[in-house]
Amino acid sequence: MSNQSRQNLLYRIRIQKDLEKIVGPALDRLSNLDAVISMIANLNDRQQVFIYQWAGLIAESNTELAAHFVSFAPEAFDSMIDADVQKWIDLFLKNYDNHGLGKAITSLEDISGFTIAQKNKGVRCSLQQTSVFLQHFIRGLGGRELKISGNDETYTNTEGLFLPESISLFPQPKQNFTVYKLTAAHLWAQTWYGTWRIQVLEKLTAEYNDQKSLNIFNRLESIRLNYRIARDFPGLSREFSEFENRDPKVVALWKLWQDRANDLRSPTATAIDTIGNIRHFEDIDMPALQSYQGEIFLDRIRETMLSRIEQEQIAFQKSLDKLRDDNAPKDETDDDFVAKQMLEVSDGDSDDGEPSETNFQLTLDGQPIELSDDLKNLAGSIMQDFGEIPDQYMDPMEQGEYSDALLSQNGESEGDTDPDLNETGTFQYDEWDCTRQRFREDFCTLRELVVPPGDEGFISETLEKYRGALRVIKKCFEAVLGESRPQRRQPDGDDIDLDAIVNAHVDMALGKDMSDHLYTKYRNQERNVAVMFMVDMSGSTLGWVNNAERESLVLLCEALQLLGDRYAIYGFSGRTNKRCEVYSIKDFKENYSLEVRQRISGIRPKAYTRMGVAIRHLGQILQKTHARTKLLITLSDGRPEDYGGYKGQYGIEDTRHALLEMKQSGVHAFCITIDSEAQEYLPHMYGTANYAVIDEVEKLPLKVADIYRRLTT
Amino acid sequence: MSKTTIKNEQNFVKNKPYYESVGDEVAVFTAAYENQLPILLKGPTGCGKTRFIEYMAWHLKLPMVTVACHDDLTASDLIGRYLIKGGETVWIDGPLTSAVRHGYICYLDEIVEARKDTSVVIHPLCDGRRLLPIEKLGELLEAPGSFCLAISYNPGYQSVLKDLKQSTRQRFVALEFDYPDAATEEAIVIKESGVDEPTAHKLVKLGHMTRNLKGNGLEEGASTRLLVNAGKLIHSNVAPVHAVDTAISQALTDEPDMFQAVHELSRSIF
Ligand SMILES: Nc1ncnc2c1ncn2[C@@H]1O[C@H](COP(=O)(O)OP(=O)(O)OP(=O)(O)O)[C@@H](O)[C@H]1O
Ligand SMILES: [Mg+2]
Repeated sequence: MSNQSRQNLLYRIRIQKDLEKIVGPALDRLSNLDAVISMIANLNDRQQVFIYQWAGLIAESNTELAAHFVSFAPEAFDSMIDADVQKWIDLFLKNYDNHGLGKAITSLEDISGFTIAQKNKGVRCSLQQTSVFLQHFIRGLGGRELKISGNDETYTNTEGLFLPESISLFPQPKQNFTVYKLTAAHLWAQTWYGTWRIQVLEKLTAEYNDQKSLNIFNRLESIRLNYRIARDFPGLSREFSEFENRDPKVVALWKLWQDRANDLRSPTATAIDTIGNIRHFEDIDMPALQSYQGEIFLDRIRETMLSRIEQEQIAFQKSLDKLRDDNAPKDETDDDFVAKQMLEVSDGDSDDGEPSETNFQLTLDGQPIELSDDLKNLAGSIMQDFGEIPDQYMDPMEQGEYSDALLSQNGESEGDTDPDLNETGTFQYDEWDCTRQRFREDFCTLRELVVPPGDEGFISETLEKYRGALRVIKKCFEAVLGESRPQRRQPDGDDIDLDAIVNAHVDMALGKDMSDHLYTKYRNQERNVAVMFMVDMSGSTLGWVNNAERESLVLLCEALQLLGDRYAIYGFSGRTNKRCEVYSIKDFKENYSLEVRQRISGIRPKAYTRMGVAIRHLGQILQKTHARTKLLITLSDGRPEDYGGYKGQYGIEDTRHALLEMKQSGVHAFCITIDSEAQEYLPHMYGTANYAVIDEVEKLPLKVADIYRRLTT
Repeated sequence: MSKTTIKNEQNFVKNKPYYESVGDEVAVFTAAYENQLPILLKGPTGCGKTRFIEYMAWHLKLPMVTVACHDDLTASDLIGRYLIKGGETVWIDGPLTSAVRHGYICYLDEIVEARKDTSVVIHPLCDGRRLLPIEKLGELLEAPGSFCLAISYNPGYQSVLKDLKQSTRQRFVALEFDYPDAATEEAIVIKESGVDEPTAHKLVKLGHMTRNLKGNGLEEGASTRLLVNAGKLIHSNVAPVHAVDTAISQALTDEPDMFQAVHELSRSIF
């Protein structure tokens, strides 16, 4: 043995001994120990020290993992820069902490995977960075609201677009960003150009519900959609071609498919025509999907569509019933008469397959009717599913159907109590009976409950969604604090009031008395405000109203933190006078804590709207706080309504009476509502200047904070 | 001692303003005018209210006085005030007084922005009396038959507190304006900016896209005015996407994500 190799041997033995000392017997179980030791021997000193140090640290958690680390460390140093080795260690240790040894070893051994991911890092574009943009972009394109979320599979279920969490297909982040945009646009095109008309869904389900047919359908439909997109969105279309697969084989295959399915490249071709083509393509090779194409999951689409169709039919019929009611001659109370009115729909010419909400026109006895935006959206969504408004949608609804549907959606049934609500007390209140013109004593039984915490993600989503708006709101609120409002015509003050002086001069010249109120004062009036927010949690808020209410509260709380006003938030609902309920979300003493946030998120629609008793109860809580200005603000979506005759004039009069009681005790009441008919009853209940009607639900979150600011400055 | 701040000729709308009618508003305005009823123009910004009233002034051959209301505008700003000149007090008519004296059209733009007391001074003018009391002069001006009061109001913006009081709005014949339908808006964009039909078509389509975003990150969609502005830039050879960026997207939002969305939407159609 030469001196040199003897040296080497000793060196390797020393390394092995050192490592054994650090890692223990687990090291000897490595099958490739000799090879590993030789490789370590070839690393430089700094790298060796690094391995010793980390082997020791890892061994403190798990010696098995430490031994694995030792055996892979030389390869790691070989295939990446030293700084990345540290990141590789961090990753498998994180996996060890979160998922245990198995996962840790898998990620430790996947060095090539790690290096690729590392390389992609610079080029990657994540959904998190792009989702706000994508949401705006898709909304701008039009049609039914589509929610964007992350998923391992890329597809649409007609209500959401599911996109990968990150994309690193191309070397430039900007290119990957574009792939996001194109993918979202392409999925949007399915919902816009009628890929998911109900007829299509049914035909596919009945005749082609196998993976191969669906794959063919996906590619053929894509040919049709690309043609439509090219006509309407030339810019998008150019980008689609830029991002197409350049592999000559794939290019040739797509060309072949396009030529064979040339009938789909027409403005009048529909998805039914696409289905008709499936059979002709069963025996030829399929081209690979383009980077911007998603997959198709028929069952998910089916599930979403069927439940939407059912809900929308109910909602639509209900709206029409209301239209009929509202347009019925006032002196006719005969119910039969209402049904006799002729409601007709003309939904324009939608042969081109494009949902044409704008052409949608409703006529009542031949007279065109102005539609609310909600109803227009609803009609638009129905037309996206059917290409028209189906005849049965125009039929009047069976009485009571709506409330039953609501109940089943709430998972509530008559008579049972919610086990998830903590009761904190029971109270009795009088109710004003306008027919008898006196109180019904202790008529209402009210319980105070606490809203169960909901998903906290809602809060961060809302903050993200309204990031820009919130900044503006906060700026305005800060301005309130900093604002020094000049008070004119003061007997003394910081500055001379020129207008007043000129007037005084004039008076003097005319020989009148001269006023001595000639100064302007800039003084910040100190805020001393307590406000109670009373949130409608009735069943009719189900869906976006509820969402908008919750979002409003989030923005409001964020903004109120700045002002330091004292505030409380309660929800209210109930069913009959025996089961009136208020739900505490934040009381005056609480801070805007995590629990409060969770409760805001947990607000869910309940039953009916018995408003009077809620006002009396919450008003009392408000009265007990000390503040110069006391405000009771109601967020609501409709008129007071409950079982047992609490509707129409009776409900309105009781509510009005309760508000008068508040007024007498020095509480200012204000109502923010999204009920477009509020003009009819709110002025009577709250007084002409004390309410605001928000015509679009989406505006509510932005408006509420704004209104509050204006009310209190 | 009374003097007017306004010279007649300057207020005549000399050339026929281009106005694309969107319904029966010309007929209704004319009928209201003939019946000496005041008129309220309701609608979002940039939808043609000012253009319409200019057109009507021309059509009725009446001079017009326009007052852009702001939150410091007081009743005396409308009616007039004493000023001191060389030790003497001189009365100066405000624009409203002067319009009433001469029987002009008075157009109060964005009336809700003005201070509360302003709406009170127009009340007696807007009912059967057609009177303008000038308290400081102790004078009660009666409006001549040709006088016409028109106010504008954008229901989208104003706050609850600034909302037009029922007692004010119920004195007016209300004409509701909205962005015109696609074909009309295209015609307006072509005529006003000089772009060709395909470009106007795309601009209007973009307008609709931004209006889809209203209430969801945008306070308002792009108005006809913005579409016309972008069209003018394009007509002067600014690249379309750039023209839209500067004339529309920047005007609509400061939010980077929203700006990018509008930018990409315009790229997708141009
Ligand atoms: N019906 C129309 N006919 C002709 N031009 C129109 C019409 N509607 C809008 N425009 C164009 O839009 C521009 C803006 O219109 P205008 O200034 O009248 O808006 P406005 O409603 O008064 O807005 P604001 O409330 O902001 O004052 C006009 O200069 C004109 O180019
Ligand atoms: Mg104007």
